[in-house]
Amino acid sequence: MDKIRNKKIAKQVERWDLFARLTPTLFLATSLLLVVFDVVPLEYAFYIGLTGFAITAVSWWWWAIFTIRYLITVLSRASSNLTDVNTEIKIVRKELEDLKDEQ
Amino acid sequence: MNNKTYQLVKAATNILSGVSMATLIVLGVSFVGFNNAFVFNNAGIAVTNNPVTGDQINFILEGNRRHECVLTRVHSDAYNDDTGESYEFDFARKIYLRSDDYLGSDTGIVDHQWAMPKPDGMGPGVYRVTLYSEFDCVYLLFKKTKIQMFDNITLIIK
Repeated sequence: MDKIRNKKIAKQVERWDLFARLTPTLFLATSLLLVVFDVVPLEYAFYIGLTGFAITAVSWWWWAIFTIRYLITVLSRASSNLTDVNTEIKIVRKELEDLKDEQ
Repeated sequence: MNNKTYQLVKAATNILSGVSMATLIVLGVSFVGFNNAFVFNNAGIAVTNNPVTGDQINFILEGNRRHECVLTRVHSDAYNDDTGESYEFDFARKIYLRSDDYLGSDTGIVDHQWAMPKPDGMGPGVYRVTLYSEFDCVYLLFKKTKIQMFDNITLIIK
């Protein structure tokens, strides 16, 4: 279950990376062309950009919050499991030492 | 695409994206600044030959202008609050006393003086003058029609 979700998060990170790399350049080039050729008034391009920026910021913020929460849960579970393994190893070692002493 | 080419493309798109983002932010901030700016800052209009005894009323406009703006329309009225009369100034008959750039596009300090004939039938009294002006302003890629009003200009006719 965790593996599937981890893969999903890795894919999402890749998508955000691609989006961050391509969107500003694409938006700048497209809006400049549209404004220069008078297809769209500059004010429209500005408000479209502002809306896109706001939507991206809010989406990214919520995605980051949920992802961090998930990562913390995974980390805390892993840490707890490691502690359990450590305790069990100590018990096994003690039992082995007792067995050696008896022999 | 081999690994080296992929790394190069990735680095190039990263730089391009950063430069684009910076450009967008600079353009956005400049646009907001241009959009919200007045045509004239710290500006005022006054009548310089108060009380007016002849047929000519002299005006002065002082202030400063940040962006290049061209005057496209102007309208001015004088109201007498005591009698309720109002008169419209004829800007077609305006003459410049000291102005090299009232219709032009220079930025910086503005000091314009112009004269207009007293409207026909305007009697003695204290008048409150309002001036409405429309400009086409340009800055970088941006262009906008702006309106600036001046009111409470006191005019005394004797």
